[in-house]
Amino acid sequence: MNICTKCLIGVMLLIMTTVVHSNTPSDQLIIALKMNNILSLDPAASTGNDIAFINANLYDTLIELDPEDPTIILPALARDWEVADDNMSISFSLREDVSFHSGNQLTAEDVVWTFERVLDLNLALATTWKALGFTKENISNLISETGTHEVEIKFPRELDPKLVIYTLATSPSAFIIDKQLVLEHEQDGDLGHQWLTTNSAGSGAFSLEQWIPQDRIIMVKNAQYWGETPSLERIAMRNLKESQTMRLMIERGDIDVAIGMSVPDIRSLEGAEGVDIQTTQRGTLYYVAVSMQNDILANKDVRRAIRGTINYEGINDSIMPYYGVFHQRPVKLGLPATLPEPMYSLSTDEARKLLANAGYENGFTTTIRALNESPFINVAINLQSSLERIGINAEIISGTGNQVYGAMRDRRFDIIVGRGGGGFAPHPDSNLTPLLFNPDNSDSAKLTNFQGWRTGYHNERINELIMQAVSEADSELQNSLYAEVQSIYDEDVGALFPFSQMVNTVAVRQEVEGYLDDPAAMTRLRSVTKH
Amino acid sequence: MIRSRVSRVTKKTGVILITLFGLLTMTFVIGRLMPIDPVLAVIGPDADSSTYQQVFDEMGLGKPIWVQYYYYLQDMLSGDFGRAILTGSPVIDDILRVLPATIELASIAIMVGVGLGVPLGVYAATHRGRLGDHLTRLITLFGYSTPVFWVGMVGLIIFYAWLNWAGAAGRIGFAYDGMFTSYTGFYLVDTLLSGNIEAFVSALRHIALPALILGLNSVSFIGRMTRSFMLEQLSQEYIKTARVKGLSERSVIWKHAFKNIRVQLLTIVALAYGGLLEGAVLIETVFAWPGFGQYLTDSLLMGDMNAVMASVLFIGLVFVFLNLLSDALYKMFDPRTQ
Repeated sequence: MNICTKCLIGVMLLIMTTVVHSNTPSDQLIIALKMNNILSLDPAASTGNDIAFINANLYDTLIELDPEDPTIILPALARDWEVADDNMSISFSLREDVSFHSGNQLTAEDVVWTFERVLDLNLALATTWKALGFTKENISNLISETGTHEVEIKFPRELDPKLVIYTLATSPSAFIIDKQLVLEHEQDGDLGHQWLTTNSAGSGAFSLEQWIPQDRIIMVKNAQYWGETPSLERIAMRNLKESQTMRLMIERGDIDVAIGMSVPDIRSLEGAEGVDIQTTQRGTLYYVAVSMQNDILANKDVRRAIRGTINYEGINDSIMPYYGVFHQRPVKLGLPATLPEPMYSLSTDEARKLLANAGYENGFTTTIRALNESPFINVAINLQSSLERIGINAEIISGTGNQVYGAMRDRRFDIIVGRGGGGFAPHPDSNLTPLLFNPDNSDSAKLTNFQGWRTGYHNERINELIMQAVSEADSELQNSLYAEVQSIYDEDVGALFPFSQMVNTVAVRQEVEGYLDDPAAMTRLRSVTKH
Repeated sequence: MIRSRVSRVTKKTGVILITLFGLLTMTFVIGRLMPIDPVLAVIGPDADSSTYQQVFDEMGLGKPIWVQYYYYLQDMLSGDFGRAILTGSPVIDDILRVLPATIELASIAIMVGVGLGVPLGVYAATHRGRLGDHLTRLITLFGYSTPVFWVGMVGLIIFYAWLNWAGAAGRIGFAYDGMFTSYTGFYLVDTLLSGNIEAFVSALRHIALPALILGLNSVSFIGRMTRSFMLEQLSQEYIKTARVKGLSERSVIWKHAFKNIRVQLLTIVALAYGGLLEGAVLIETVFAWPGFGQYLTDSLLMGDMNAVMASVLFIGLVFVFLNLLSDALYKMFDPRTQ
């Protein structure tokens, strides 16, 4: 045996016999997720749930919602707050013992600057604030420091104060940023956007130690945290795209939390030793939407026929487990304003009659757009076969997010299987404005952020009721207005048919305690422990 | 003599530059024709039209394609390849970051490929028609025609999940992330230089399986080509002469026949190595290996043209370099070309 062979055998033996960690260290939480959508850590620019999750641990908000009951508002950076008698402003008193990770004191100036910055930059998350009436021009007059640790937010128009409060607690743009630190890194008047894309400037329970884009994010404990000091020393997040690899690793205990696994892998983990499956309801809705720009689909009987051709039960029983739960209203489940389910069901004969009434007894040809991933493509296939039974020949066009939603934003689609409608805040408006509101249906209005405009659905009464309800602080009256919106929408056979409400499914090792997936995707890890 | 050499070098440089220019132009045109909107990737599907327009203008997408291309070339010639949407970092930094992961994986894979492929090919050629030859051909055919992602998954189930010999995803155990100093970007080297043996073993366990699978894929290619080159040589007259002279079979094979296929083999190995450097996307995905292949694929899917253009240019340069290298080695090994 020559020296090379001996070395080779030695190395092999070393690999095979070395005792390695089959379990993760007890002071570290190892999380695997797909990082495709994590493009920027800047709270003003971030899109998607994964960034909200990361930033919720690096930054703080003024207030938080209880993840177990999101209608309960908890103090965070703001010790307390008071809504003015005229319901036109809120005053916040900030904690005085909060320092950013840089060591800078957090003051009212940082809070005011954070919100001004969101509208000045006009990036992805400015849309949330613009929908409430805040603009780049009026923001400086509406948010002001009334003391070193006092902030006042005036409303641009009559608004339900709860809506502003919920937005402050759930929008990923509401994380308070260290003004002084960020401005030190400003380039060409970008308010630090370039720097914040890959860095953080928060006061959260963890600070960013390393971010290698599309590879890993490492956070370490903030020992100076104003709240209860986290028990975990370190959180390591790794980019893992292959769901089966994720499953093998969580089964073996090499990762503690797996986010974004495919349904077959989640199913195979059910009952697996040492792993729990957590399913949390999110407010976003899965829907089939039709374009009312299309003359055929603008016909109410045709829409009613399509609404009656969706196999709600079959889809929810066979495709949606772990993705969503049965729901057919445009307002999410569990709110006092949500009306009971209308119980639409698959009714092919009825649908055929409706098509004949509309003058399409021989059907027609159309297209269905859907993301080329589960559950969208599966629902599209199911819908295609149901439509075929009533004579509608639909071709499926599948693609990536921007190919599908891009076409919808440009009003270039017939039918789409999609997901949307916000729903982060426990308030009906957080669904209804994105889904149904459409103040100007002209092409030139380009209200691309409203799915009502994208589908071309325009009902003046619904617009009025939504605006009226948003400015109504009396809950009972407000709920009755929202009930009327849902009834009118039902009668009117709107352009968007919800069939399921999103749930988020996460696999967590049993050694991990206190991991509580947040309904608004702001899962905070400060209370997580391992044993 | 000197003049002809200068003219040869000038001609070659010209050809390389034209090739790279053609490559860039084609990539740019194809990239712009793809139905992908990079603006939506940045702002998400729910932003309003003023945000869309602002980002669209910032990306320079409103200008005619040829103007965009002109500006791109101008920036590129001044060494500015732009920033990647995917990472928010300068593209050059990204490529320099992902490259060590790919080089480390590809280098070990090619060692496996050459180390096993060449002897197997020679063995098969010298035992033509016998059981060993059939077995070798069967193995190489299997290796060549089996999808690497499938072999990757099966490999993970056996060597990671059942036997616990190999690591699963990434370049090192997740718990070692950031626990050693990065001197070279090559984890096997960096962990040793940091004196962290446990981390070194973890890195070794993680690279073993993907490198072996990629290596076996190269074994198939290199083995089959070696066999065919050797068969061609073994049927030559000079081999018969050597045998008639009474030389040992070992000497006939290795000193005569093999010596003459070295040049061809070099080209094959260089091509295989280039292919590995270009990125083994599927293996990188299955093993969450943060390398060049994944970077290029993610950028393509996002329509991130700065990243795609720089990556394609880099791949072009790698192949040009490998071709030049194999040309140079050709001359070294084959006196007729000198």
